[in-house]
Amino acid sequence: MDAALLKLLVMRMRGGLRLRLMQVISLRGALFLLAMVGIVWLLVASRDTIPNAELLDIARFDPEAIHARISTFMPLGLLGMTLLTVVLTTGPSFHYSPTEINFLFVGPFSRRDLILYKFIAYAAGAGLSAALIIPFAQAQTGSVLTAFLAAFLTLLFVQLNSAAAGMAWQAFEGNRLARLKWPSMAVLFVFAVGAIVYAAAAPDQTIFDLLSELRHSWIGTVILIPYIVFTELFLARTQSSHLAFWGIMAVLINVALLWAVVRLDGRTSERSLKDNARLSDRWERMKQGGSFWATERIEVRSIPNAPTLAGVGPIAWRQAIKAVRNSSKVIAVFIVVAACAGPLAAVVGIPITDDRALVMLLFFFAFILPRTLICDFRGDLSRMETYKMLPIAPWRICMGQLVVQVLLAYIVALTMIVSVLLFEDRLTAPVALALALFALPLTFLIYAVENTIFLLFPAKLVPMGRADFEFLGRAVVEFIVKMVIILVAVSAAAGVGTFTFMTLRTTWVLPGMAGWLTMILITGLATIAMQYAFRRFVVAEAFD
Amino acid sequence: MIKVTNFSKHYNGFAAVKDLSFTVAPGQILGLVGPNGAGKTTTLRALCGIVPPTSGHLSIADHDIVKAPIAAKHNLGYIPDDPRLFDTLTVWEHLAFTAAAYKVADFEESAEELLRSFTLSHKRDTLVHNLSRGMRQKVAIACAFLHNPKAILFDEPLTGLDPDGIRSIQQAIRERASEGAAIIISSHLLSLFETLCTHLMVLNLGECRRFGTMSDVLAEFGQSDSNSALEAAYFTITQEKERGDV
Repeated sequence: MDAALLKLLVMRMRGGLRLRLMQVISLRGALFLLAMVGIVWLLVASRDTIPNAELLDIARFDPEAIHARISTFMPLGLLGMTLLTVVLTTGPSFHYSPTEINFLFVGPFSRRDLILYKFIAYAAGAGLSAALIIPFAQAQTGSVLTAFLAAFLTLLFVQLNSAAAGMAWQAFEGNRLARLKWPSMAVLFVFAVGAIVYAAAAPDQTIFDLLSELRHSWIGTVILIPYIVFTELFLARTQSSHLAFWGIMAVLINVALLWAVVRLDGRTSERSLKDNARLSDRWERMKQGGSFWATERIEVRSIPNAPTLAGVGPIAWRQAIKAVRNSSKVIAVFIVVAACAGPLAAVVGIPITDDRALVMLLFFFAFILPRTLICDFRGDLSRMETYKMLPIAPWRICMGQLVVQVLLAYIVALTMIVSVLLFEDRLTAPVALALALFALPLTFLIYAVENTIFLLFPAKLVPMGRADFEFLGRAVVEFIVKMVIILVAVSAAAGVGTFTFMTLRTTWVLPGMAGWLTMILITGLATIAMQYAFRRFVVAEAFD
Repeated sequence: MIKVTNFSKHYNGFAAVKDLSFTVAPGQILGLVGPNGAGKTTTLRALCGIVPPTSGHLSIADHDIVKAPIAAKHNLGYIPDDPRLFDTLTVWEHLAFTAAAYKVADFEESAEELLRSFTLSHKRDTLVHNLSRGMRQKVAIACAFLHNPKAILFDEPLTGLDPDGIRSIQQAIRERASEGAAIIISSHLLSLFETLCTHLMVLNLGECRRFGTMSDVLAEFGQSDSNSALEAAYFTITQEKERGDV
């Protein structure tokens, strides 16, 4: 590789480190870093005292069972990722930023040099990620070194394999046989659905038994050979000969894939350029607080105007347009995921009331959904000036901003409740109705808190590359604050409900209503807090 | 020397540039003008090797950009319309990288001189993300000039610059041309062409509508006021086809 590109990599890494240090020596950065380190330490330190610690620490499972699961399911998972790459590849295999395109594509470098440059940059990132994975993989692999090697080589493989598969498919797209892509996928899909239905119908077999049989059959072994190599790295424990053999195999596979990527690059460079530009636009949009996904259509049909409602209508209308045009795919994915919750819980055999399922649900609704589907103030940082100038009362602006976001999240919650009601015997219709009633104020509370924090401490929604400690620390602290507020609100509602029940000694309807009204009252207070935060928001300070 | 022969570029069947041919000799400054979507940036990006041509030949200092890209790029400087720089690097680190990329030995003195000429000396160790757009534009130009390229391509070079910056960059362009560089400037600022360019090419819908020396193009429209003449020439040329189509 050209020495200048190597020099650039070193300078960029040094520059990245410099920025992280600058973050850490600021008061805010130091506090968030401390918060993150403290919380991680608490999680690690308390794993022996938490009754259901297996939620966080797979080492507390039976090691042999874990060993068998990794051996069976990791190759299948890696194969699934490859197939998804081929089906869903819309972006470039190696992403070059506009700066790199303007500087490096114009510079005296060969395409091979540029691919190697990008690969080394990725490898450095993979090294950092592998170091973070060590605590989780060490219990399985036996030592820090083996955990690092296994994680590092596997991360490289995932990137190179995705790149090679995506580029091979792009190069193949002009071929007449490429038309068979969707019919082939349809056949695979039908086969997969058939397997799930068969597993659900058979009393003595689950879908995991079928997958296990496929993995250990001779045909499965042949198909999965490259993926088995990387699985064996995690299963090597401390046997040096075993590790050395699979390690060398893994390195050879990665080298072969890198060679394939360099060879395929010449055939896909123009497509790659176009995809790079599209991906860069997406990142720019996200940096501005917009959505990663956005319609690529040039002309779109307008959505009928909402009633004015003293100002709430137009604000909500704008967010609705944004949701429809930019987030429809994300919304569809979340609704499908929610709809699958019931069948999935039934197939896996974990009741929805199980601690693990409840923790996952909480994480889904309080962290993943609010971080992914954004149709409120958080996506409007660059438009705050406009909101500040509007002749509409602040509380109406806040309500308008929240309406669409809350309704969308509520639809996802309702879909999940219906899905679980249909497939879970323990969930009765009255309980489902109560859940549906309580879900609305709870959802409202989550987003009111989320927006209040954002308005009080505005920040970017995307991390500044890998190891953005301030961003990670902030995300953890925000999540904890949100959880505490939700816990207090739910406890207050439950307390009022219980008090009503104890006092009136009646059915659960009146206590339920009392609890629900308490939740409504709390969401009202949260709206007042959000309105205060919006009034206090200073546009100029947020654009540093 | 920049030479373009029968260059065409198609995107999914759409012809962004059709059969374009022209030459820019050392010392000449060619102004590339045309409405949005005329094919100016596509032509510049093809000359840089960022986008491959669909057909035709493009060469920089007698090196074909497709067949001998590295030799061609060694003689090329490109200043894009949006000066994107590496956020985590300082101004000096950009120059250091450029020197390494183009194998410029003992670059420090010329780099210091460039920083002085663009009044960037005091920003030497500043991270580029802290610079204004105009400053970043100057850094991009300094990087493009560092290896003394024989061909320089400017895409909207004056956007975001203050009057001092505009004057210093115009001066730098003249100096580079007088030292023998072949220069192409793409811009919507007709006054820039008036003061700088020796030649003019008017593009519209991917086709060349006029190509010649500045004085020839202006003389064709016979106006005494030069600014009005260029403006009149531009509108007449770009609207000729549309009128013809009606």
